Amino acid sequence: MTVVEKIKNLDEKQCVVNVLLDSVKAHPCKDCGKCVFGYEGITQFEMILKDITERKARSEDKVLLTDLANLMVTQALCDDGKEIAQAMLTALDKQGEVFDEHISKKQCRAGVCKQFMTFHVLASKCNGCTECMEVCEEDAISGKNKFVHVIDNDECTRCGKCIDVCSQGAIVLAGAIKPKCPKKPIPCRKK
Amino acid sequence: MIITIDGKQIEAKKDSSILEAALEAGIYIPHLCSHPDLEAKGGCRLCSVEIDGIKGAVPSCMTKVEEGMNITVNGPEATKVRKTAMELMLATHPADCTGCPKYGKCELQSLYQYLGVSPERWRKKSRSVPNDDSNPLISHLFTRCIRCGRCIRACQDLRGVNILDYVKTETGIRAGIKAGTSLEDAGCRFCGACIEVCPTGSIVDQIKIMDEQRSYQENVVPCRSNCPAHIDIPAYIRAIKEGDFDTATAIIREKVPFPEVLGSVCTHFCESGCKRNELGQPVSICKLKRVAAVNDSGAWKERVMKCEATGKKVAVIGAGPSGLTAAYYLAKKGHSVTVFEKNEKAGGQCRYGIPSYRLPDEMLDREINTILEVGNIDLQCNTVAKSPKELKKEFDAVLVSIGTHLGTKLPIPGNDLPNVYVNVQFLKAARSQEKLPVGKRVMVLGGGNVAYDCARTAIRSGAQEVHIACLESIDKMTASKDEIEEGKEEGIILHAGYSFLEITGESTVTGVKLQKVNRFYFDENRRAVLELEEGSQHIVSVDTVIFAVGQKPEGTESMELELTHGPYIKTTQSKTSMEGVFASGDVVTGTRSVIEAIAGGRESASAIDEYLGGDGNIQEVLVQRKAANPFIGHIDGFAHLQRVQPEMLDSKTRCAGFDAIEKPMTCDQAKCEAGRCLQCDLRLTLSKVKLWNEY
Repeated sequence: MTVVEKIKNLDEKQCVVNVLLDSVKAHPCKDCGKCVFGYEGITQFEMILKDITERKARSEDKVLLTDLANLMVTQALCDDGKEIAQAMLTALDKQGEVFDEHISKKQCRAGVCKQFMTFHVLASKCNGCTECMEVCEEDAISGKNKFVHVIDNDECTRCGKCIDVCSQGAIVLAGAIKPKCPKKPIPCRKK
Repeated sequence: MIITIDGKQIEAKKDSSILEAALEAGIYIPHLCSHPDLEAKGGCRLCSVEIDGIKGAVPSCMTKVEEGMNITVNGPEATKVRKTAMELMLATHPADCTGCPKYGKCELQSLYQYLGVSPERWRKKSRSVPNDDSNPLISHLFTRCIRCGRCIRACQDLRGVNILDYVKTETGIRAGIKAGTSLEDAGCRFCGACIEVCPTGSIVDQIKIMDEQRSYQENVVPCRSNCPAHIDIPAYIRAIKEGDFDTATAIIREKVPFPEVLGSVCTHFCESGCKRNELGQPVSICKLKRVAAVNDSGAWKERVMKCEATGKKVAVIGAGPSGLTAAYYLAKKGHSVTVFEKNEKAGGQCRYGIPSYRLPDEMLDREINTILEVGNIDLQCNTVAKSPKELKKEFDAVLVSIGTHLGTKLPIPGNDLPNVYVNVQFLKAARSQEKLPVGKRVMVLGGGNVAYDCARTAIRSGAQEVHIACLESIDKMTASKDEIEEGKEEGIILHAGYSFLEITGESTVTGVKLQKVNRFYFDENRRAVLELEEGSQHIVSVDTVIFAVGQKPEGTESMELELTHGPYIKTTQSKTSMEGVFASGDVVTGTRSVIEAIAGGRESASAIDEYLGGDGNIQEVLVQRKAANPFIGHIDGFAHLQRVQPEMLDSKTRCAGFDAIEKPMTCDQAKCEAGRCLQCDLRLTLSKVKLWNEY
């Protein structure tokens, strides 16, 4: 399947920015170097898309991608370069609002781009063991023994260590829809 | 055909690209990855233009001209493509130009200034690669590579060496050595084409081989610039490689009339400059000259310059290499030349200073006769010339080229004993019927090539034990390494680093008293300072002593010319202090080399011709140069090819007489040795890319 076809056939669990980034990373233009638009173009695509998926986008990034892809479509030396540029244009055309959400609203609606997700401790499952607190390098988790722990998502770096360490499966990732959780540590219901 | 660019009609050659046609007509279109000598690839897109009837921007390097085409260079589409392409390149290129060796000469720098763009709106990325100076001659600074591919096309398509390519690295794609090894192991020919075509500072000559005092061309071909006579060395080496000894000799003879002599005894400054030194041993430039000369048919003679007689008369005092060279060119310029030679035969130091086992009489006679064949030269041997002032009454100009034929003795006790000789006297006698008698044990004092000439002559004259003593340690001796080695083979006992205190003996020489030198240097007043080791005095018992500690001109004091450093004649561009009197060779420079004497002879000939109303131009073209084949191809192990040594007689045979000790290389050996040449001059034939400000 070509990248263009992939972009046209995305399901709702896929993020267009992420799919594009993966395609760019594995693209033959990266291993060629024979033309400026192909090689420097794919380099810019990768850097800009990566920034978008990591909440580091700049407001003008959509314009930059559009400008660059429009030139690459005609100026890349071979069909590989033209094809990835066409995929970019298709993505911007069909799912432009997804780019906007990433760039302006800091959201990934498909819940794929981890940097846009939040971490939560479910009061129904947490047993207050403090394991997650201890593993968090940013001290983003508050609580004490036998109290439901609470994650401060402003401090959280989304490293995922707390999920790995929790034996109760109490820590979840959330996209646009957030689970209801206590704002402050409260005594555990679960013994 | 006619095409129109920016409203201007120009004539374009069929099958040329729009870019070629525009540049030819003096219309500038920015371009970077294209190069006049390389196939266009269309990678950089800086040369984009717009053409009536075609949508969007097209690369002008890849688009052929068509009748009636109407082209706009800076239309909105083309300008957008061009500027964006430059921005993208700059986004991953080091921003600091001032630290780059190509600063001010870089095509990328020139172009971004012309386009007035910056990469600010794009993401920046550094693709840094450590600078690589591990290869000989060539530095790789691939952080600056912009992947234009010019070096790769030059190496692959133009030269056929085929070792550079796009390579994948941790920091991305760039130009590099295909096999990932060193240049030597990859089979690099070190032709420098990659350096020449690189638009940025990614592939450059190593700093240590670039002498700031010299022009770029001189630095690129150091053998030719090191040669005092500027013989076109790469060209004659190339002719030898093709087995064309006539062409090789003609090229050599364009600058010097003594190819065989030089091919035997030249001090070869060329070889010290040879870039192959960086890969091991230099090309055997000197000895290749001899092969060319001995295999020459004389075809060059037909093209020799012959000017009409001027009616002017020139006197030359001294028929050494400098005087004969000057006489040769003056005769060709139409002047009638009389050469006065005090000795029985012409040749100067070549005959009376250099032993016949290195320069046989027949070789000298042959080359001198070839000079005299040009006509207009009256050589008068066994004739002591009148003073320059007297000669001026009969001749329009006088050249003093008397060399340095007076040997010197050091002021040590015993230096006036019988059987104590000086170099010039001893070597001159060895060429004549009246040789100076040597005893059984001989001591030569001095550490230069002349000391070895004396010692090796002594061995051939029947001495059973020959010593050389000199102040310098063996690594500081001025004698060449070959000379020291060959002397050792012939049994010479070397006492390097010894001072000579006295020659012992009452009425005959019984020995030389030596003392070990701990330190030998020149103080701030350039006076020699010796620190001797206490208690190291000893006597080497010998019955003959030869001084070889320098020589100087004879009789210059009475010439009424301004002198310098004692007896040497002072000149400015060959002119002496006396109107119409010129000087060249050792009498001006001090004892130097045959090639410097010849170069001096050429200069004085030119100066004298000008003085006599000529144009002073003694340049000759003795053979039409064929363009060198730029496709040099790949040779595995090229960097490791060993220098060819011509055959030399074994030391026992050598010592038995005065036969020439070394044979010329065979033709096959010569072709093989010439094949080691890096052809440094080849890169100078590549087209220079003109920058926008040159249109």
